[in-house]
Amino acid sequence: MKCGVRFCGGCNPRYDRGKALEKIKEQLTDVDFVHAAEGEAHDLLLVIGGCTNCCASYDQFETKLGILKMWDKTHIDQICDEIEKKN
Amino acid sequence: MLMTGEQYIESLRKLKTRVYMFGEEIENWVDHPIIRPSINCVAMTYDLAQDPQYADLMTAKSNLTGETVNRFAHLHQSTDDLRKKVKMQRLLGQKTASCFQRCVGMDAFNAVFSTTYETDKKYGTNYHENFKNFLIEVQKNDWIVDGAMTDPKGDRGLAPHAQKDADLFVHIVERREDGIVVSGAKAHQTGSINSHWHIIMPTQSMREEDKDFAVSFACPSDVEGMYMIYGRQSCDTRKLEEGAEIDLGNAKFGGQEALVVFDNVFIPNKYIFQAGEYDFAGMMVERFAGYHRQSYGGCKVGVGDVVIGAAALAAQYNGAQKASHVKDKLIEMTHLNETLYCCGIACSAEGYATQAGNYQIDLLLANVCKQNITRFPYEIVRLAEDIAGGLMVTMPSEKDFKSDLKVGRNGETIGEICNKFFAASPACTTEERMRVLRLLENLCLGAAAVGYRTESMHGAGSPQAQRIMISRQGNIEGKKELAKAIAGIK
Repeated sequence: MKCGVRFCGGCNPRYDRGKALEKIKEQLTDVDFVHAAEGEAHDLLLVIGGCTNCCASYDQFETKLGILKMWDKTHIDQICDEIEKKN
Repeated sequence: MLMTGEQYIESLRKLKTRVYMFGEEIENWVDHPIIRPSINCVAMTYDLAQDPQYADLMTAKSNLTGETVNRFAHLHQSTDDLRKKVKMQRLLGQKTASCFQRCVGMDAFNAVFSTTYETDKKYGTNYHENFKNFLIEVQKNDWIVDGAMTDPKGDRGLAPHAQKDADLFVHIVERREDGIVVSGAKAHQTGSINSHWHIIMPTQSMREEDKDFAVSFACPSDVEGMYMIYGRQSCDTRKLEEGAEIDLGNAKFGGQEALVVFDNVFIPNKYIFQAGEYDFAGMMVERFAGYHRQSYGGCKVGVGDVVIGAAALAAQYNGAQKASHVKDKLIEMTHLNETLYCCGIACSAEGYATQAGNYQIDLLLANVCKQNITRFPYEIVRLAEDIAGGLMVTMPSEKDFKSDLKVGRNGETIGEICNKFFAASPACTTEERMRVLRLLENLCLGAAAVGYRTESMHGAGSPQAQRIMISRQGNIEGKKELAKAIAGIK
């Protein structure tokens, strides 16, 4: 599965968004995480916000199985579960 | 095409910009130790745009070309764009702890875009098309453009045309078939030397007799007849000292201001955006000032984040982090800083579409934002100095801490003595303690205080300018009616 990742811009993040992605990658070694790019097909899109506003833009990206959003480090396990279910 | 920071720095080397400092011409200003930190700052606006963790704030889709451009070259298309602008500025303040200089161009683009549209509508001029064509080139080349507004102004009691020396305001000295010739100067110009181009705007509202001073145009920074005299900053010559990297506090980044002189500079028609339409000078000024007052609700907040972090580290390194008054001061600093951010976000969220289609901030809230900026950073640095202790301004130099000169009875070196007497909590080395205290010195009263303190006071207009705007927009009469209705007064 190819999962596109879109970060918010990180103006005032309440946790380390980059480390959160690393933890998700460690749990899901069979998923191919790439930075979301326009014109590319992604099976799934993961939006990683730094706060509850989760203001990242993502309408410009294509996804087959939908969009998952997280904005807190406590969401990591839940996000992993949801990605696994779709995988 | 988005440039990298390195490509930006290399692009500056191709310019023939005339720069003077300490009474001399600076040939290689790109690598000059006093100037280079300010160039590194601007380079961050390029590097962060390339980083997927920050790209959502740092880039936008151009409404003119459909291409992805740096947000600093973008015309705001929604209130979401306005909010993201503020967030981007906060991010850059955090990453540089300095003025990163690119905002003036962005604010000028948006102000000139909407003003030229309305000028053309009234006068049938072609300024809007001129400006759009210019901006497309800026976006395509990912240029830095310095937005220049502030004239030296001479005798503040006199209008531009009444000044003894007309050069105290930028003005048209000759009108030709193919363009205009301008003279004058812009003072305090942030990032002027680091910019590929300049966009000039009038400094205040004008009357008919001042129509030659109602002028807006773009020109390359190295156009014939233009030159810049670099502004001094507190502690600036520390950057020339060897072995003073720690003493600088922030060795990599810094701000930059200069006096920009126009000595009979020719401007071709296609780069003219106002040339005598004095009744639109005020609109351009008000819109630029509004955007720039919004900007401070982002950039100063980001620098404030670093001040708060440094104060918290200083407390930890002093072993005082558990003291309740220290915790309370950090809370107060955070409260003040986030209040400024609230203002930046609020005036963006309440923005509106101009006739030209780009988005303008809410003027009342932007002026309230900037009015608070003239106060809160001063209180934040006061609290930071309170937490840090006097050592931030009395500490020996880096050279002393590293000196091998034996001075003690038992052969102790100056370095050993300094390290012995300035050691504090085991949570840090003496050098780490020294580094964070020097960073606070830099921000509170050193080179970066130019940006964090005095620029907060006077940049984007001095406090009284905001109070005038607040008075105009505050609707006191409407509030009287509210009170009358509640009090039962007919």
